[in-house]
Amino acid sequence: MVSESISVIKLRGLLLVTVPPDPDDETVSALQEQVLQAMAQHDCKGLVLDISTVQTLDSFFARTVAETVQMVALMGGRTVLAGMRASVAVTATQLGLTVGNSLTALNVDRALDLLNSTLSKDLRL
Amino acid sequence: MNESHQGEFRITSENDIVMARKVVRDAATTLGFGITDVTRIVTAASELTRNIYHYAKSGVMHWRSLNQDASVGLELTFEDSGPGIPDVEKAMEMGFSTGKGLGLGLPGSKRLMDEMTIESTVGKGTTVVVRKWLKQ
Repeated sequence: MVSESISVIKLRGLLLVTVPPDPDDETVSALQEQVLQAMAQHDCKGLVLDISTVQTLDSFFARTVAETVQMVALMGGRTVLAGMRASVAVTATQLGLTVGNSLTALNVDRALDLLNSTLSKDLRL
Repeated sequence: MNESHQGEFRITSENDIVMARKVVRDAATTLGFGITDVTRIVTAASELTRNIYHYAKSGVMHWRSLNQDASVGLELTFEDSGPGIPDVEKAMEMGFSTGKGLGLGLPGSKRLMDEMTIESTVGKGTTVVVRKWLKQ
């Protein structure tokens, strides 16, 4: 049972995915699958994962996010993790979690700026 | 707050990990913990509940408020009759896992909480007790 819905929006060649506040393991796994499918389907180069409402980031959730970042990278895309709450950042660090080599931003607005400038730099190389 | 609050929650399915987080979040918030400590406690509970679900399939989480020398705290006990942990010391090492986990659950939970004790007997089960004290 997927208890909470995942919002996946295509926006100017980018994918904006909003993670629900307290997803169960199945929802987290479904999120990964939906993101990868949408990346391929919409021919996106960038992904913004909005985690601003997420209250608990435990090791399973963090591993799935890190994996997703890696998978998106293999598909030629860049990921920005946006809006991690201060309490979640403190807890994740003490727990020993890392989210792979994802870019991070304070909010979705800055994530979109960061992604746009990163992608245009990538093009120039 | 002098009266004691307590409750228990049975863990039998994957969805109970989410439910356990809700129960613990409510208990910790009611006791007066701040947002960062609530997040620490809930995250530790999530790790320990998932351990029960993955390794023992089912178990029970007990929670109770603590009143000791004018200090207020929350105690969570995770009990299962699963396979047990052969080497508790090893299980407390960062990155050690016999399953498919990251090996962060037990050592990470210990860092998030103030106190943690593990009692485990192979073939009988495991009991993990964690406590967090409210900073005055």
